Amino acid sequence: MKTLRFIVSRLVQSVPVLLGVSIVTFLLMVNTPGDPIRLLVGIRASDETIAIIRDRYGLDDPILSQYFTYLGNLLQGDLGASLRFKVPVSELIAQFYPVTLFLVIYSIVLILPPVIALSVWSAKRPNGVADQIIRILGVVGLAMPVFWVGLLFARFFGVTLGWFPVSGFGTTIPEHFRHLFLPSLTTAIWVVPILTRNLRSALLDEMNRDYVLAGMSKGLGASQVFRTHVFPNSVLPTLNLFAVIVAYLLGGSVIVETVYAVPGMGKLMVDSILARDYFVVQGATLVFALTTIVVMLSVDILSAFIDPRVNS
Amino acid sequence: MSALLCVRNLNVRFGDTLAVDDVSFDLPRGGALGIVGESGSGKSVTCRALMKLLPQTAMIDGSVEFDGQNILEASETTLNTLRGKRIAMIFQSPASHLDPLMRIGDQVAETLRKHTDLKGREVLKEVRRLLEVVRIPEPDRWAKAYPHQLSGGMKQRAMIAGALACKPDLLLADEPTTALDATVQKSVLDLLVDLRRTQGLSMIFVSHDLGAVARVCEDVIVMRKSKVVEAGKTRRVIDAPQHEYTQMLIASHPDRLTLHTPQAAAHAPPLIEARGVQVRYGGRSLIDIISKRDGGFPAVKGADFTVQAGQTLGIVGESGSGKSTLARALVGLVKPAQGEILYKGKPAQPSGRNRALYLRDVQLVYQHPYEALSPRMRIRDAIAEPLRRHRLCPTNEVPARVADLMKQVDLEPMLGERLPAQLSGGQCQRVAIARALAMDPQVLIADEVTSALDVTLQAQVMDLLIRLQKERGLTMIFISHDLAVIRRLCNAVIVMRHGEIVEAGPTADVFDHPTQEYTRTLIDAIPHLQEAAL
Repeated sequence: MKTLRFIVSRLVQSVPVLLGVSIVTFLLMVNTPGDPIRLLVGIRASDETIAIIRDRYGLDDPILSQYFTYLGNLLQGDLGASLRFKVPVSELIAQFYPVTLFLVIYSIVLILPPVIALSVWSAKRPNGVADQIIRILGVVGLAMPVFWVGLLFARFFGVTLGWFPVSGFGTTIPEHFRHLFLPSLTTAIWVVPILTRNLRSALLDEMNRDYVLAGMSKGLGASQVFRTHVFPNSVLPTLNLFAVIVAYLLGGSVIVETVYAVPGMGKLMVDSILARDYFVVQGATLVFALTTIVVMLSVDILSAFIDPRVNS
Repeated sequence: MSALLCVRNLNVRFGDTLAVDDVSFDLPRGGALGIVGESGSGKSVTCRALMKLLPQTAMIDGSVEFDGQNILEASETTLNTLRGKRIAMIFQSPASHLDPLMRIGDQVAETLRKHTDLKGREVLKEVRRLLEVVRIPEPDRWAKAYPHQLSGGMKQRAMIAGALACKPDLLLADEPTTALDATVQKSVLDLLVDLRRTQGLSMIFVSHDLGAVARVCEDVIVMRKSKVVEAGKTRRVIDAPQHEYTQMLIASHPDRLTLHTPQAAAHAPPLIEARGVQVRYGGRSLIDIISKRDGGFPAVKGADFTVQAGQTLGIVGESGSGKSTLARALVGLVKPAQGEILYKGKPAQPSGRNRALYLRDVQLVYQHPYEALSPRMRIRDAIAEPLRRHRLCPTNEVPARVADLMKQVDLEPMLGERLPAQLSGGQCQRVAIARALAMDPQVLIADEVTSALDVTLQAQVMDLLIRLQKERGLTMIFISHDLAVIRRLCNAVIVMRHGEIVEAGPTADVFDHPTQEYTRTLIDAIPHLQEAAL
């Protein structure tokens, strides 16, 4: 009951955030340099044509009424149409978003096991040999630029060894897995060190807590104390950082998607910006914001399930 | 009767520091031994060594024999069959020794699941029984609760329930009542005494409070600087202490301190007056505004009191009674929702525009000396900070003023270069007092300034405050949960409970003829040295 109330109250709280996002994306549109109409009709159109079209699109209305029209359209799922592809933006997003979603979930699957294994291993003997090696590898992983790692992997695993395809998404699910392996691995290379560092320090903090001593005094033994007390308590801070990273990845891992030519949101965004396809940029921004809100909300709810103190 | 526990020449060393130096004692089956000493005396380390529950860096020597078994040479596996099953331990702060993410019932059941063959429903039944033994009301309900939902006393009871789960022979209690309010402390001590009688439990009770030890244990050892300085029957040690340190310890006990007669306050208009001060925590939510409720949680529900110049007013109450909130309202750290505070007869707004001017006259000293000082600031700079910030004296006179302030609170001049972490708790509290005095205030509000300190330091800080008050004619508001301290210092006292003032009056009247039942329970809960167990 209490949890339900917590979820509802969090949902209600996200309404103003959504409104704010819609205002920002709308203003983004109004204030971008260049005239979308010019792009639509070409440079040789007469002033009258432009005036007619401006009128038809409602661009001469007061700005507030333009906003409400925009908001009304949003509520009906109408994000406008792409100037480049001449199809509704929502259709484009429906086409590109699942690819990014697939990529992100795949990355998460590759990220979580090593994060847990490495941080537990490091924390068992802080500053021991394993800890040092893991730390150095982590720094190396963080220090290598993503585009470079991407190119390196594509060259080595894709071209030299020929194990994985280096571009595209494929058409069947097994093909998706093969095509997206290198992009996911490239993402994992920089995410794993960040999360490992975070979880390791949380584990070390929790291992020095008083309840660990209390657990030992009950004769539970070090490994059971670690499993049932230390680990659950360490997960929360890392979970929040994890959520931020996931939200970021869902916004489109621009570099990874560009290097491997993956048809995802990042690629769509970059291409649309270059082509001045404003409505697509606007729609993608909105979807990105929405995704962030959803991810944060789910993490808050998950945290409330793990830690009973969160929702009271 | 053979000894249950036999400790011989126990030494514990951490690197170069000797934490426990040649400690030997016996504990007969069914007996109770108190270990008394101040922080850093090695009493807790001794207690943990008995279960070999020390970090790996500790070097342990000597022998600890429990029921014929050598603990120090036992393997971890053997130890884990003893820990929790035959030797159990309870700790100082139940809040941090319970896992915040695990239900109370599960934490009690942990020991049962580990050491007994009980399964499923039987475990639940046993947990319920244990919670009843430690007198937790509605055990079914509280077993499902998480630690943060329990009061401090209940958490300690839950921890005791977990320790008793496998009917251990020996209970090690490491300062089990120190973090608790006086009335709760008394009830936990009563519970321990009762458990000794009904369950035939042997006990080692570690505390800095000789009064608490006297209630539970017939034997006591006194530790100082890693060594045992005195050992014997509790009664004998209290009545005729041999060692000079024990004598000082007993002389510092609030029971034995001479009552100080606070200077009588002249009948003048009050210096500080609170009228219907009400403080709420938490704002109003949308629903509260619609339904015209006040919202939040009322921490202080309408407090009225006056303090005359030169008087010392004591505010007593247990944790959560609103006494600290009231102090915070007086210096503008929280804004009262209603009511007003008058200073020298004029309405003062501690959090308003004239805040800086008002705070020069009214200063607050906080409970935890280490937390009230910036860990990266040298003592000298910490004391100089208000002088510089408020330009209270020319820059070139600041060092001289700081030296003078340090002298007033009995701090060695050489300590000025140190960081707070390099000082003892008592020294830190003096620094905090010196910093407050730098403003040359008329009123000093002391919020539980002695409760984090050992008894001897506590006595010294009290003496310091009494002296400062005489020298400077300070007006004081002294907040404490410790009635013995209040009785010693204050002319008048107000008793708070659940955010309300339940009783107020001159100290002697309130203590000798309390009109409220609650005040009486508070007074009864003061631990006395005379109550030694026989």
